Amino acid sequence: MSRESILETAKQSIVEADEDMALEALKQAEESGIDLIDLLSNGYSAGMKELGDLFGSGEIFLPELMFATQVMKVATAEIESRMEPGDIKPKGVMVIGTVEGDVHDIGKGIVASLIKTNGVMVHDLGREVPAQVFIDKAKELNADFIGSSALLTTTMTQQKKIEELLETEGLKGKIRTMVGGAPVTQRWADRIGADAYCEDASEAVKKIMEWINQI
Amino acid sequence: MGEEKKYFTRMGDGSIVHMTEQEIRQDIEEGIQDAAKRGKIDPLTDDEKEKLYQIITMPGSIVGVEHGMQIVTSNDSGSDKINTKCGIPTSRDVNAMIHERLLGCDSVDIGYSDYNYKTVKGVAKREATVLKQALNYCTMPLFYGAMPNLGFYTKPDGPVDNWAVLLPEGKIEEALAAQEEAVDHAVRDIVYVAEQMNDVGADGFMLDTSGAAGDADFLVALKATEIIRDRFPDMPVEIGMAGEFVLGMHGKIKYNDVRLAGLYPHKQVKLVEQAGASIFGAVVNTNSNRSFPWNIGRVCTFVKACTDVAEIPVHANVGMGVCGIPMCENLPSDIVSRADKALIEICKIDGL
Repeated sequence: MSRESILETAKQSIVEADEDMALEALKQAEESGIDLIDLLSNGYSAGMKELGDLFGSGEIFLPELMFATQVMKVATAEIESRMEPGDIKPKGVMVIGTVEGDVHDIGKGIVASLIKTNGVMVHDLGREVPAQVFIDKAKELNADFIGSSALLTTTMTQQKKIEELLETEGLKGKIRTMVGGAPVTQRWADRIGADAYCEDASEAVKKIMEWINQI
Repeated sequence: MGEEKKYFTRMGDGSIVHMTEQEIRQDIEEGIQDAAKRGKIDPLTDDEKEKLYQIITMPGSIVGVEHGMQIVTSNDSGSDKINTKCGIPTSRDVNAMIHERLLGCDSVDIGYSDYNYKTVKGVAKREATVLKQALNYCTMPLFYGAMPNLGFYTKPDGPVDNWAVLLPEGKIEEALAAQEEAVDHAVRDIVYVAEQMNDVGADGFMLDTSGAAGDADFLVALKATEIIRDRFPDMPVEIGMAGEFVLGMHGKIKYNDVRLAGLYPHKQVKLVEQAGASIFGAVVNTNSNRSFPWNIGRVCTFVKACTDVAEIPVHANVGMGVCGIPMCENLPSDIVSRADKALIEICKIDGL
């Protein structure tokens, strides 16, 4: 089978959340001598990207996305078991939460789910998280990214506090931050010094993947 | 050659931008096509696009509708905004009178500052007293309003497991069950509050920001409406939406055999009608990174598809961050008035 055809099978296996198909694509890739990193990046991961886009336009839903994530995990684990340590680029660690005083965590949960589906280790702190807890957990996990969500104009100021604490602790620039939530905009991100503003979960994934490629 | 003329408009975050005719027309077109593709609906016609361009670029800071095209307004959490948001120490009955006698509103809702039915349940009888007082002062119809806000039924604030936590952990069956359980709690609370408001003569009942927590949240609004209309037939219900499509947090929930997840306004309104609601509050999200021409092109495409099929009045939500209104605290009247004019004259909405 051609490389294109095997990559397409791998991609479809994720889109259809079909574990058997995913393992069959892996077997075919090995038989055809296809680079497994190529299979992971341009096959399975391409499937996750397509699912993210479909989710963004309301054509598939979160549970379906999570089923696909399970298949992605199996495929990734199988590939990792065949590789030498260090062959696969680390995907980074993210700490995420809804800021103090804010109980709205639906959107944050979606973002956490989508980022997880792309292989990033996500530590979800939940809702009503004090700014200091974001920092402490990020230090404990040696996190690469902090994501904070605020749904209220009265709580978004907590995102500024996170930036200030990062500055105080000398972590500014070492841990990248992304902010989101209904009242949050790029202008707000620029004003408080956050590294990124993401309009929705799909954008958050794109930004994280862009950062990961720079690690 | 002089520099090409540029027109004042704004980005979706409220910042000012000046765009050429070509840039505006291109953004309108891209917004329309985005909506048509996502909603699988017809794009605006060439005449409608031209009308939209004229509205965006017409001189004057504030624009108005053509004579005879004025429409009515309903309002969500309106009676509380003067006090809670503006910090003016007025009571809610006074706020209602200000809406009626100073602002020229056609209706407003009395709402609690913690605007959700789970919270209101505990003070429902006191809330009914506030509504009754306001009803005694006002001539215009007064609703009681709040959000279903299904997320408030999750632990630690509520009785069911948090699906926003369970889903990322891959506990899918548990997440689905939690949502289904929360629906029953929320419907019960809403109907209880509706009963208190009906008892004091509410002119209407508002379920605002429906679907905020996903498809199960929208189901709550539909089921509660069905029961309210059955038990209190003289109290009409308005269902306002949270976003342009129903988030699939569950994915399999149906109402009258229609899967709720992924529905756009033109399909939402049909279910809202079936549930017995009297007014549908359509919502289209504003993208804060795109221009007003892009956003309003997209909004008009979605809302027109909705009004084309609706058999009940459609009141578009034109508040902060929706239906073309920028995502900023102080809403610029130049954009608000243009969004209103476009929605009224192009989309033929019945109310705002």
